Amino acid sequence: MAKEMIAMLLAGGQGSRLYVLTQKLAKPAVPFGGKYRIIDFPLSNCVNSGIDTVGILTQYQPMVLNEYIGNGQPWDLDRLHGGVHVLPPYQTATGSDWYKGTANAIYQNIPFIQRYDPQYVIILSGDQICKQDYSDFLRFHKEKGAEFSVAVMEVPWEEASRFGLMVADENDKITEFQEKPKEPKSNLASMGIYIFNWDILKKYLMEDEEDPNSENDFGKNIIPNLLRDNRKMYAYHFDGYWKDVGTISSLWEANMEVLDPENSGINLFDEDWRIYSRNSGMTGHRIGANAIIEDSMITDGCRIEGHVKHSILFAGVRVEEGAYVEDAVIMGGTVIRSGAVVKHCIVAENVVISEGTQVGEMPEEGRQGVATIGSGVTIGKNAKVGADAMVSENVKDGEVV
Amino acid sequence: MINSNIDALGVIFSNSYDAFVPELVSERLMASIPFASRYRIVDFMLSSMVNSGIDNVSLIVRKNYHSLMDHLGSGREWDLTRKNGGLNIVPPFAQKAINVYHGRVEAMASIMGFLKAQKEKYVIMTDSNIAVNFDFNEMIKAHESNKADVTIAYTRGALPKSLLELKISAKDLYYTFELDGTRVKEVQINSKDDGEKNLSMNIYLLERELLISLIADAFAKGYHFFERDVIMPKLQELNVQGYLFEGYAARILSTASYFEENMKMLDEKNLDALFSPSPIYTKIRDDNPTRYMNGAKVVNTMAADGCVIEGEVENSILFRGVKIGKGAKVKNCVLMQDTVVEDGASIEYIITDKNVTISTGKEMKGTDIYQVYVAKHEVV
Repeated sequence: MAKEMIAMLLAGGQGSRLYVLTQKLAKPAVPFGGKYRIIDFPLSNCVNSGIDTVGILTQYQPMVLNEYIGNGQPWDLDRLHGGVHVLPPYQTATGSDWYKGTANAIYQNIPFIQRYDPQYVIILSGDQICKQDYSDFLRFHKEKGAEFSVAVMEVPWEEASRFGLMVADENDKITEFQEKPKEPKSNLASMGIYIFNWDILKKYLMEDEEDPNSENDFGKNIIPNLLRDNRKMYAYHFDGYWKDVGTISSLWEANMEVLDPENSGINLFDEDWRIYSRNSGMTGHRIGANAIIEDSMITDGCRIEGHVKHSILFAGVRVEEGAYVEDAVIMGGTVIRSGAVVKHCIVAENVVISEGTQVGEMPEEGRQGVATIGSGVTIGKNAKVGADAMVSENVKDGEVV
Repeated sequence: MINSNIDALGVIFSNSYDAFVPELVSERLMASIPFASRYRIVDFMLSSMVNSGIDNVSLIVRKNYHSLMDHLGSGREWDLTRKNGGLNIVPPFAQKAINVYHGRVEAMASIMGFLKAQKEKYVIMTDSNIAVNFDFNEMIKAHESNKADVTIAYTRGALPKSLLELKISAKDLYYTFELDGTRVKEVQINSKDDGEKNLSMNIYLLERELLISLIADAFAKGYHFFERDVIMPKLQELNVQGYLFEGYAARILSTASYFEENMKMLDEKNLDALFSPSPIYTKIRDDNPTRYMNGAKVVNTMAADGCVIEGEVENSILFRGVKIGKGAKVKNCVLMQDTVVEDGASIEYIITDKNVTISTGKEMKGTDIYQVYVAKHEVV
């Protein structure tokens, strides 16, 4: 049974700019928004857009991600025909290769795609926070009679040179592609989301693989090759919320934007476009008799006795009486003991912040850093973790880092 | 196939004690009454069985079971979507001359074919009006070491007020018993006695073959009640043992006790006792986390996901998707799924069922001994 369109989700990246947060897990598995992981967004978008077959390409630290995806049931992707498939690199009769680049990752899985014999393949990236209707993108692709389409966002001109840019005519036909140019000719940034006609994609992947000088990358090789051959290439304008959460500060910012859906545009409360996730299975959260909660999001299993302001708390977080939490992202299972002050930071899962400890500082002129603590770390009593600190190992009582 | 974890199957009576909480079951049954912010009361017994290794569970339903079917689905959330065994919902099988069954004897007789076809050695029969975290393996150990024919779980303590206040003519019966060591010597029905009593939890453990013969015999004689008509007359003949359960048990025995048992969840000790050692599973709703807006003031409250709170909440239980508007005041309330308390409304000692709306500026008050119940979908 052929599928009209299947999705291939690139989830192999290390996300090295997230430092301590991606030491033990791949970037798409990084927790986000109180009860989600980054990969929940593209997966939920697929299901909400009517795509029921998704291949997830994994490579770096796949264990947490594999376990999280499981049989795909939380996203309704446990299907008899199709559903979600985790696709790590594998060994063949002629040898074995890691995925050499984004294009090579798809190339190595041509047999997987071929099984579903799709007309179109959508390539997604597992490191963006975005609510997008891919079926509208496909409608555009079909209407234009395109062979390749790329989703683009308008970015401010002064920032344009940080992006891969598409130069397009008034009919949205792409005429030129500029990768992080010094002098941008366009402000249409590629979101790294592509729709290909499957026959075209296959042809170019196979040619690319033959080229010994290729880096096997969509942006560096495949797209320039399509342009060289004057393929029908179009730019699809997306104007919803989109954020690449590849850095600590952008990840922190995106979390804070979740607290302000009215202005930020990232609304997790939209019942017509739910974001699905694997459930923690914990009880309802408990707000104690002396707790103060201001402008925050709190989920199952939390026990709050202290003061929480403008923060996002994941499942099972405990904030003891007399502790203070502000502008913070606190991931699952973390305990913040009495008298600790935790500000403007990201604290990963299962961290213990002991009594009287100070973590992070509110930004001041010349100091904007987001303090970050890696998972499983214990911060000793009366210690101090500075505004720009990156902590991946236990901190002793009274230590300053 | 014999389960390698535990050699028992479970049977849960979903309509047990419906008559105790007439309002709460007007559009559902006892088993699907919402409890503790994100659960249905049957989740506790189902999860206990699953956590004990039981993977063959039948739920006997008599009426008003749509909400339960919706809740349970295929049983996946309790890991009961199994090829062998799994979740088996048994609605009444109305034959020409027989009305919907009354009492456990008829209900069990209606699944006789099923019982005979099973392979498990033991059957565990329970009600669904009780929230517990129960280890059935311990009960089977006690049963075997006592060489019991039947083991009944009980709790010890003063009888709950709701039972003492129950009319003598009530059709739903509860049982207390006198023990000789651990052996049940005498069973009383609807006792009104003061002091420490052994109150049956209506959790029965016996061999499947024995159950089949007891039910066949009782059905032929036209009996209804398993305890009164089958067990009580056989206390000499059968070795009936009591099994003292010392963990946390929340019994739903009246609307007032429903309120009280929910409120007890605000005490962390009780919460931890009920939700340990094993997890309790329930249907997933994929709500977003709960949002506390500017102006929210919340103390001593338990809330599930999907709530949006802009007003004041004190000593309350909020189920999934509850909305509390600006300037609204909620005190000592149990608000079930998707209840909306609009701006400026003020409520105290209220139980709202699902999808209730308390309109802007409305005031409503019950008292600590009598809570006002607002039915499903009502707009006040």
